[in-house]
Amino acid sequence: MRTHIEFFRKKLGLTQEELARRVNVARQTIISLEQGKYNPSLYLAFAVTKTLKKRYIEDLFELE
Amino acid sequence: MLGKPEWFGPRKYTGWGATPRTWQGWVYVLVAVAPLALFGALPLSGSTKPILMGIWAAIFIVDFIDIILRMQRDERERLHEAIAERNALWVIIVVLAVGIAYQAAQSSVLGKPRIDPIILIAVIAGVIVKAVTNIYLDSRD
Repeated sequence: MRTHIEFFRKKLGLTQEELARRVNVARQTIISLEQGKYNPSLYLAFAVTKTLKKRYIEDLFELE
Repeated sequence: MLGKPEWFGPRKYTGWGATPRTWQGWVYVLVAVAPLALFGALPLSGSTKPILMGIWAAIFIVDFIDIILRMQRDERERLHEAIAERNALWVIIVVLAVGIAYQAAQSSVLGKPRIDPIILIAVIAGVIVKAVTNIYLDSRD
């Protein structure tokens, strides 16, 4: 899976640590998400999408 | 309870339990362990020393179990933990099965049946826990 989390996170001026805290996961999980190494649950995908103020999950996550 | 889960992280590479992540965690470990050495050095009579040490150790063992149970893990960490625990369990089961087979072979050669009951109990207990867990998960989801 490809993600655009890093792009939109930086656009909002958030660090990985801050994003992790807001969606209640470890910083390492955000790193793994940004690198496309971890496929999140639907719940986490929605939480990240909402936190990064995007409307659709597809804005952040792309199935390869 | 005495300690906080935020002071510790799950032990991943050196067995089971938790390892201190903050200075408060290290102080907790020191406070838990140091008095045991102190009790050992005190000139106390008879059974007083082991009772004191036992009570002190029991308090911290119970507290530490509570810390481990309350430790936060996100979904990725839980997934990794589940996979690692599953792999460790398979290895343990294989070793136990080899142990049982070896003891059975040895006892048939010696003509004296002897299989360590603890090994059998461990395997049976594991089977029961797995069954109960699957029953619970199937009913929940």
